[in-house]
Amino acid sequence: MMDGAAGGAEVDDALRRDVSDLIYWEATLLDRRRWEEWLALFCDDAVYWVPSWKNEEETTDDPETQLNLIYLRGRSRLEDRVFRIESRDSYASMPLERTVHVVGNVLIESADHDGVSAVANCLVHSYGERGTQTRASLYDFRIRRTEAGLRIAQKKITFIDDRIAGPVDVYHL
Amino acid sequence: MGPGAHSGRMKNILDKASMDGSLVTRDFGAMVDDRVGEGVFRVERAVYTDPAVFEAEMERIYDRNWVYLCHESQVPEETSYFACEIGRQPVVVIRQPDGAIRAFLNACSHRGALLTATKQGKARTLTCRFHGWSYGCDGHCIRIKAEKEGYPEDGFDRSRYDLTQVPRVESYRGFIFGSLNPDVQPIEEYLAAAAGWIDLLVDQSPEGLEVVPGSSTYTIRGNWKMQVENSVDGHHVSTVHRVFAATVSNRDARDGTQGLAQTEGGRITGKVPSGAYDLGNGHMSIWAQHTTPERRPIWKKKDWLEATYSPAKVEWILTRGRNLAVFPNVMIMDNPSTQIRVVKPISVDRAEVTVYCIAPKGESAEARAARLRKFEDFYLTSGMATSDDMAALEDTQAGSHARAARWNDFGRGIGYMIEGPDEIAKAIGLNPVSSNITWENETLYFGFYRKWRDLMASGA
Repeated sequence: MMDGAAGGAEVDDALRRDVSDLIYWEATLLDRRRWEEWLALFCDDAVYWVPSWKNEEETTDDPETQLNLIYLRGRSRLEDRVFRIESRDSYASMPLERTVHVVGNVLIESADHDGVSAVANCLVHSYGERGTQTRASLYDFRIRRTEAGLRIAQKKITFIDDRIAGPVDVYHL
Repeated sequence: MGPGAHSGRMKNILDKASMDGSLVTRDFGAMVDDRVGEGVFRVERAVYTDPAVFEAEMERIYDRNWVYLCHESQVPEETSYFACEIGRQPVVVIRQPDGAIRAFLNACSHRGALLTATKQGKARTLTCRFHGWSYGCDGHCIRIKAEKEGYPEDGFDRSRYDLTQVPRVESYRGFIFGSLNPDVQPIEEYLAAAAGWIDLLVDQSPEGLEVVPGSSTYTIRGNWKMQVENSVDGHHVSTVHRVFAATVSNRDARDGTQGLAQTEGGRITGKVPSGAYDLGNGHMSIWAQHTTPERRPIWKKKDWLEATYSPAKVEWILTRGRNLAVFPNVMIMDNPSTQIRVVKPISVDRAEVTVYCIAPKGESAEARAARLRKFEDFYLTSGMATSDDMAALEDTQAGSHARAARWNDFGRGIGYMIEGPDEIAKAIGLNPVSSNITWENETLYFGFYRKWRDLMASGA
């Protein structure tokens, strides 16, 4: 897992900065409702995965045989979420809750010629009809080097609540 | 203990308590305005908002009636346990070494601590983590810490600390129900016509059904009855879920998805054959025709179904998406995916809902994965339809405080109600109390609120 003395992989500062920026941008674009730019951060074949909890201590770990909160293969499935939000016809998404993501603890776990694996933590504060709520997640990213720059190949979100208050969509996570 | 032991006194207290503290006599029976002959069926909005109603429901409905506990695949082996509730009372279901299933109040006989650290597990003995008292999985108190120092009398009988057993636990084809009322009718008789609807799901696999690993629990700011109503409400589908239908149709056009990978939206847009049934004893069902049944995971077993059952039954299983509500707390769905939805009442305006994917054992890997993807598409609070249901439900709860207009109306379709089964129900021997020509009509709720009224008006 971690091979650096202080945790994380030995990577140069430029890569570390680029990876952190990508992760911060991803959260910022959700909060700013810049959906098209948000989608553009993902690879065509990106996997977006939010497992469910199998028991008090373990999430599900095999999407082919176990239930997830969200499991999307391909950026186009994220486009479904944006389509629904932008339709203004989704009861749960009209009006949209206001959200603020605060992302921290960004660490690169490993790097190779293809890309990097990185982890981060995220707190999402939301405000809406239900009042204010704070939700927390662990992020596991697989980030790929492409000609256009770094792009997200996988975002796995371990959403720590297993009693979920209210509708939860991609902008809450 | 008989569940009604103190209910005579409780009734007086409950009936006289109101939100503002004034003394009123609440006639629960009068909250259902049942004048079908005059074309009227209405329910007072206070059934969703009055705490005195909720307290009475816990005693008169949940403590006296059958309540769904879990599926047998959740207690698969001897000493497997599953912690759940009857109303607000914690219980634990345990499979005994002889295979029988029993349930006990999940509270140490000493000072009441829960006996299970986790919702599911295996335990030959249950040991209280507070003072260390232990119970066998048959409920007998087998060890009291420092017993001699605390209870030195000769002939001390530890059995007085045995766990309180749930007096009735019965399974109907794998769905386990419990009742605190020893005199409750047998489960099969209680399920009435709903048993036939459960059969339509269970009969899909000769090996039985299993709950798939993983689940989701969500809290709703709504009364538990709102969740039950919503689960068999056909009238909302083409409004609340038209965005779901538009989303999947846009997806199919964009991605060219084929076969099992497609989620069917045709049922949702309306204008397909559908129906609604009052199944007796408060149970209800709706169905609607699948426009593309070949996208359903069960389509993979078409040949086996046709070789095993009558054409009319196969048509029911393969082509009619069904939602079933079993009074008071479980919904069983067989649509693009298959679901058990359990509602737990928390307070008059809060409920907790847990959803599980239930699937035929031994289905192909492709069918299982497709079933899961369709489940995640639609059914979760993180999905693209249940989340919209939740928002609509919560608005309905909020609107129910508009008590200057006293009634919610359930009279839609009274003129189209058919006493007893319609032709398609008759074709496979299903025997509902009443049928209706479309799932948009609301006569199925008559059964739910008549059962509710009869239990609530029964007092002590």
